[in-house]
Amino acid sequence: MEKVVALAGNPNVGKTTIFNALTGLRQHVGNWPGVTVEKKEGIMKYKNRKFRVVDLPGTYSLTARSIDELIARNFILEGNADIIVDVVDSSCLMRNLYLTMEILEMGVKNVIIALNKIDLAKKKGITIDFKKVEKALGIPVVPMNAKEGIGIDDLKETIVAMADGKITTNPVIPIYDELIEREISHISKILKGTPLAEKYNVRWLSIKLLTRDEEVIKLVLKHLGQEKMDEIMKHISELEQHYKRSLDMVIASQKYEFIDSLIHQFVTYPTERKETIGDQLDKILIHPVYGMISLFGVFYLLFKFVFTVGTPMQEALDSLFASLGDLVGGYITSETLRGLVVDGIIGGVGAVLSFFPLVFLLFVAISFLEDIGYMARAAVVMERIMRKFNLPGKSFIPMVMAFGCNVPAVMAVRALDDERDRILTMLVNPLVPCSARMVVVTFLAGAFFESHQALVAVGIYAISFGLALISALILGKFVIKGEGSPFVIELPDYLIPSWKTIIIHSWERSKEFLKKAGTIILAGAVAIWYLSNYPEPVGSGLSYAERLGKFFEPLTRLMGQDWKAAVSLIFGIIAKENVIATYGVIYGVGESEEALAVLMRQAMAPLQAFVLALVTTLYIPCIATIAAIRSEGGMKWAVIASLYDLVLATVVGILVYHLGLFILG
Amino acid sequence: MHVRLSKMKEGERGVVIDIQGGAGARQRLLGLGITPGTVIRVIKSSPPGPVIIGVGPSKVALGRGIADKIIVRRES
Ligand SMILES: Nc1nc2c(ncn2[C@@H]2O[C@H](COP(=O)(O)OP(=O)(O)O)[C@@H](O)[C@H]2O)c(=O)[nH]1
Repeated sequence: MEKVVALAGNPNVGKTTIFNALTGLRQHVGNWPGVTVEKKEGIMKYKNRKFRVVDLPGTYSLTARSIDELIARNFILEGNADIIVDVVDSSCLMRNLYLTMEILEMGVKNVIIALNKIDLAKKKGITIDFKKVEKALGIPVVPMNAKEGIGIDDLKETIVAMADGKITTNPVIPIYDELIEREISHISKILKGTPLAEKYNVRWLSIKLLTRDEEVIKLVLKHLGQEKMDEIMKHISELEQHYKRSLDMVIASQKYEFIDSLIHQFVTYPTERKETIGDQLDKILIHPVYGMISLFGVFYLLFKFVFTVGTPMQEALDSLFASLGDLVGGYITSETLRGLVVDGIIGGVGAVLSFFPLVFLLFVAISFLEDIGYMARAAVVMERIMRKFNLPGKSFIPMVMAFGCNVPAVMAVRALDDERDRILTMLVNPLVPCSARMVVVTFLAGAFFESHQALVAVGIYAISFGLALISALILGKFVIKGEGSPFVIELPDYLIPSWKTIIIHSWERSKEFLKKAGTIILAGAVAIWYLSNYPEPVGSGLSYAERLGKFFEPLTRLMGQDWKAAVSLIFGIIAKENVIATYGVIYGVGESEEALAVLMRQAMAPLQAFVLALVTTLYIPCIATIAAIRSEGGMKWAVIASLYDLVLATVVGILVYHLGLFILG
Repeated sequence: MHVRLSKMKEGERGVVIDIQGGAGARQRLLGLGITPGTVIRVIKSSPPGPVIIGVGPSKVALGRGIADKIIVRRES
């Protein structure tokens, strides 16, 4: 087995950049088991040696209060890492070394500090004596500028040396005041007799007990029993009374004091902090009014970029798949097989794949805004609005991305800090109408409401987006309870991003989209092809699809729709534009939208068309989105999201139809 | 004089005295370097929006709810 190198560090310190530099493109993105936290793994090859590199979630500390921190902590605690590389932002040492101390306090010895962003530190006038850092911390320190690739080889070299046991370390750990230290040794003595002592560092356990860490309390309780535990807790309460506050605060303060005294051994700071361009920019970008205006501007440009560049690519891919279908179809003599391959596989998967350029470009644009430091500012501006709907300010990013495509949007919930926020945002995300639904809405609005096309389309978008927010409010109150995370976000320095990181990052994300197209979407496409061709093709009235449609007709009748709507909606699950395409097949007009519009106008009233457009926008997310929810949050949430949207669409469809009938007399 | 961070004005400085409220929120702050004894400066505060404070070299945005729980000794 290869040795495992774990990357730890605060958010935004350059962990991803270093991970990419170590592993190249030999990486794999997935989730930590059972949660919505991203797990990145890769292989590092150096001088004929192979290491498995695991990127731990970026965190500020290692408490049991957030899943991200718990994942990182348990990984280290269980001894899963042979070597820990702690990435530290040298331009913000105090806060970064806090995490370092949390790691070292666990009693691990195999730690290397990647002292990153030395260029930034220098620019800020901070001078660091690297030799002294090593001495003060007692572990190897590698100065780096990961963006420029400086120090990467040194880091690899140090990893290999440590793996070979050529480096002896003597990690520093924080020392607290007399009272705390006395209590630590008191508890340590009690713990030493238990099996816990063999597996964990007792000093660490004792400190965590003092801070009333829930996980450690549970763990120790199992081994000590209630009586001894009560004894310990009584001591802790007494100490808390003495300090007049909880000990997590006391210990954190003293840890920072300790770090401060360490830092003074090797760093000199500039005397005065100058106002930077970033400070000037912030005056506009987080201003309640100008900030909102600039936010609209930024996202207008974002979509303009994505659609201007992406739409021609999408159309090109579309026709490429069409010609591929024709080409392949020419070689297949069996009618059935041709249907399966051309309409089912190439047509179905092609419809989804043609969205790939949009998905990729959306990720590029979002990563760019993230890396440049803008996203945190956008979250600040949106916080007060989103919070009213039980959502954190940051959740606005996936909500906006969804207007392009829900798949990357659902994947983007990973950037949120809290499991509850992630699930909630993911659940309501499909209600934000994506560009595929725009196709349906604009077609129906154009066919039935000529002069008011735009107004009707905007109306449907507004209803849908409004329902997303209201759903968040309701689901957040009754289904996924909890206060949600309080709004705490660091505003990073504005930085010129590295294109390489952005492209790799976007590629990694959109690759998952491709994988889905190859698996679950393929299966769905084949299933739908089967339903619409057996026992007789659609149009005969005998296909399973039509029978299903007729089966659901009583339900769609309530919304003023016949069985054709039911069939079309079933096919729309593959990709929502299919709703219109299916009508085309049923009416036998193929792709001619003109002809279809004429026939549909004869068959239904504007009110019915409006309801159809609305229901298409709301009901079950498309199959790619369902797959995304499943891989982010698990099957349970994928089912809940689908059912919720289905029920919501039905209820809203019925209501709007009857309300319309009533108003129109 | 002790005030809640949410009540402080732009440009004011102070030392954090206490953090009230639940352990979850408190521990997030501790990790970001906001502990009793920390010197902070208010960069922006426009209710009901978040409060932006400077902590050492970094800037942190805090929601009103959590800013209400941070008690600060104001310095002139
Ligand atoms: N100036 C400078 N910027 C860096 C350095 N390393 C990374 N960055 C930038 O810091 C930002 C965050 O980097 P990333 O790798 O995404 O950080 P992560 O959030 O820790 O994974 C990106 O804009 C990087 O280009 C460095 O050594 N110097």
